[in-house]
Amino acid sequence: MKPEPLVPPVKVRDIGKPTPELSPLDLQRIVPLPPPYDQIDPQTLWKELTAERRQQIDASLDGVSALSLKRPEDPQEEERLLKGFVEGLRKLLSVENNWTFLQPLQLTLDHCTHCQTCADACPIFVMSGRNEIYRPTYRADVLRRLVARYGNGGNPIKSALTGPIELNWETLARLAELSYRCTLCRRCAQTCPIGVDNGLVTHELRKLFSQELGIAATECHANGSMLQLRVGSSTGMTPAVVRDNIEFIDEEMSEKVGFPVKTPFDKVGADVLLLHNAGEILAWPENPGAFAVILEAAGISWTMSSDLVAYDAINYGLWYDDVQFARVALEHIKVAKKLKVKKIVIGECGHAHKALTVIADRLLLGEDNIPRESALTFLEGIVNSGVLKLDPSRNDFPVTLHDPCNIVRAMGIVEPQRRILRRIAPRFREMTPHGVENYCCGGGSGFAIMSPNNFANWRMLVSGRIKMQQILEAFKDELDPAIPKYVCTPCSNCKGQFRDLLRAYGAWERSRIMYGGLVELVVNAMSDVPPGFLEWEFH
Amino acid sequence: MVVATIAGAVLLAGFVLGSLYKAIRYFRMPMHVRWELYPVAHEKGKVAYGGSYFEEVDWWTKPRETSMVGEVKTIAEEVFTLKAVREHNPRLWLPSLLFHYGLYLLFLLGIALLFGAVVDRLGVAGVGWLAGGKVLSLWGLAALVLATLGCCLLLWRRLGDPTLRNASTPADFLHLWWLLAVFAVSWLNWLAVDRQYTVAAGFVRGLIGMRLGGDVPALFLVQVLLLAAFLAYLPWSHMTHMFAKYFTWHSVRWDDAPNLAGEAYRDKAMKLLMLPVSWSAPHIRGDGKKTWLDVVQERGES
Repeated sequence: MKPEPLVPPVKVRDIGKPTPELSPLDLQRIVPLPPPYDQIDPQTLWKELTAERRQQIDASLDGVSALSLKRPEDPQEEERLLKGFVEGLRKLLSVENNWTFLQPLQLTLDHCTHCQTCADACPIFVMSGRNEIYRPTYRADVLRRLVARYGNGGNPIKSALTGPIELNWETLARLAELSYRCTLCRRCAQTCPIGVDNGLVTHELRKLFSQELGIAATECHANGSMLQLRVGSSTGMTPAVVRDNIEFIDEEMSEKVGFPVKTPFDKVGADVLLLHNAGEILAWPENPGAFAVILEAAGISWTMSSDLVAYDAINYGLWYDDVQFARVALEHIKVAKKLKVKKIVIGECGHAHKALTVIADRLLLGEDNIPRESALTFLEGIVNSGVLKLDPSRNDFPVTLHDPCNIVRAMGIVEPQRRILRRIAPRFREMTPHGVENYCCGGGSGFAIMSPNNFANWRMLVSGRIKMQQILEAFKDELDPAIPKYVCTPCSNCKGQFRDLLRAYGAWERSRIMYGGLVELVVNAMSDVPPGFLEWEFH
Repeated sequence: MVVATIAGAVLLAGFVLGSLYKAIRYFRMPMHVRWELYPVAHEKGKVAYGGSYFEEVDWWTKPRETSMVGEVKTIAEEVFTLKAVREHNPRLWLPSLLFHYGLYLLFLLGIALLFGAVVDRLGVAGVGWLAGGKVLSLWGLAALVLATLGCCLLLWRRLGDPTLRNASTPADFLHLWWLLAVFAVSWLNWLAVDRQYTVAAGFVRGLIGMRLGGDVPALFLVQVLLLAAFLAYLPWSHMTHMFAKYFTWHSVRWDDAPNLAGEAYRDKAMKLLMLPVSWSAPHIRGDGKKTWLDVVQERGES
């Protein structure tokens, strides 16, 4: 049953109101989880910001802060920011500065009828108890009104028709924060009868803030793409460290599987350049390890790169900045060209899939257009070739599959991973909904790596809650902790979110629910490998 | 009468030119990066579950199988059954369906009158019923019933549902009230002046023959001016979604054409990469002289 709307409901024009909080998260309205998880009081997962912290940063949107924005110190600084924002609006709507997304953006700005067909598709809006500010049209309408009033000199008639809005510090700060309350999953766009993409608005707002005002999530920018371009990886790993870590993983794997596993580096002329999200190497070494086991066992000619940037498939620019996006994508391609590989295979990382395969596609000209393939498709090819002897009885435990938005909804890679699972996991069951209608893990668009202030609490309580609900539903008859269960998650960022989510809700202790990639399950089913590759330890 | 006819003609021309301007504007916008969303309706054999050619090993070596039938079917389903609204917003579906069917019928009525006037001028026999009569009378009645009912229900929903009311803009209400005014005057005309659309047919004949004289009832003129003004305004509103769908669906949501061999988009992409960048953030420092090609090869400052 839908809860009653907030009374009085927050209006779009309220975004600039000088109130302490525009629309705080109401813990009473958070949608409950199925039993026994309904006993978990949302209060226990929540963290209020201290009064002192609130003095330091702006949390006036909803009592949460993803960006740790500081109020301007004087009116001049505020004026500079507001002018910069208006200038950014102009650039966002110009061919020169935003040809990359101008047509989709303009179509979206021009055609929303506010019918709210998209509202229930948004898990953040729904699970928050229908907080108005999370409604997909809310932030999009703030932008529409700002464009009407301030864009390219402003248009008073258009502004009157779209409704009033005031550009002040509150509007700017709240809108910046609001662009980090959407995971860019684009379920809203999928339901729009007109083809309006309010999810794209989030992307474009983040771009405006980053590309014009230098405002971006630290984890995505300073500690993300900037760090990657400077030292080679957002994890901070240098080439030497990566090689050391991979060597260590190879040793571990060789010991576990009983045959030598050696990851080739910088092999010129290899068929395949494998790009991993470097986070895997540090947080889930069994994933690159399992890849190496499979590729070696299948006799694939492959290599990894130890060149800066190219040993980390991540491309956070995808979420917030076209320039940063292009810089990283070009580095990936440069190395593939240098190594003269036949194709790039992108490991289990959703956003890296979409970044290099889809978004970069039309920018890769001539020799730069090296074929890119999903690891899931590639893996299915190996499994279908029959080169691996697989024993599904080794995976005789409940398995469900999470569909990373960037691989499934944004690329249409739906069946390869399922066909593999049907072959190796006899107790595989789907979540509801799944495939292209899946729900985001709640960590999409960079959220999984963002935990400043109380943002991680918001991620657990709001953006990730529907996925928790789905996982519990998928395993509803087997929640007994005596039965180990596996959420197959072929995406590094999603795994980061699952680690935090399952931990926050105590799902490992309560129900023995673990998460991991697809390759680990494949290796676990390999008859040539001693049983027990999969270690049931939560990490 | 003359002034009103000229005004009507100017406003109608405004509708046509405005719509053309907007469509051409979208059409001439530069190539954008891919931003498709699955299911993509033309993916042959995979559309039912939302799959794509990326599911094939070495997909770039295989023929791409697409089917325009899929796109036509999806668009038709959307236009004639408002599928997305039915599935995701059922409370708004019936009002919206009635409203849209009313508009479709009214649009076809206008086309019939125009066609009738043309064939009349050409002296073609046998389609005289298009220039007014019982068939058109019933047609108009059905259109008005559906459109008015749909419009009233939509207004009732927008006003009565606090959530929907809160999310609506002044323009959303303006459109519905304006159309309701058009329908109300059309009802009065239908009931009291022109039940068989003979006056309307004569007016259209006059318009295309550039004959501006002649008497027509004042109520009819009010109807024409209200409707024509609405149509002239339409291209500047979100109601251009009637043709913008081609772009939002075909050119964005379903535009999954791969850049095979790197040649298909070479010229377009090169031209765009040479555009000047003026984004001001420290990691870009676009000065309006540096091009995209320049800035993407830099490392940028923190």
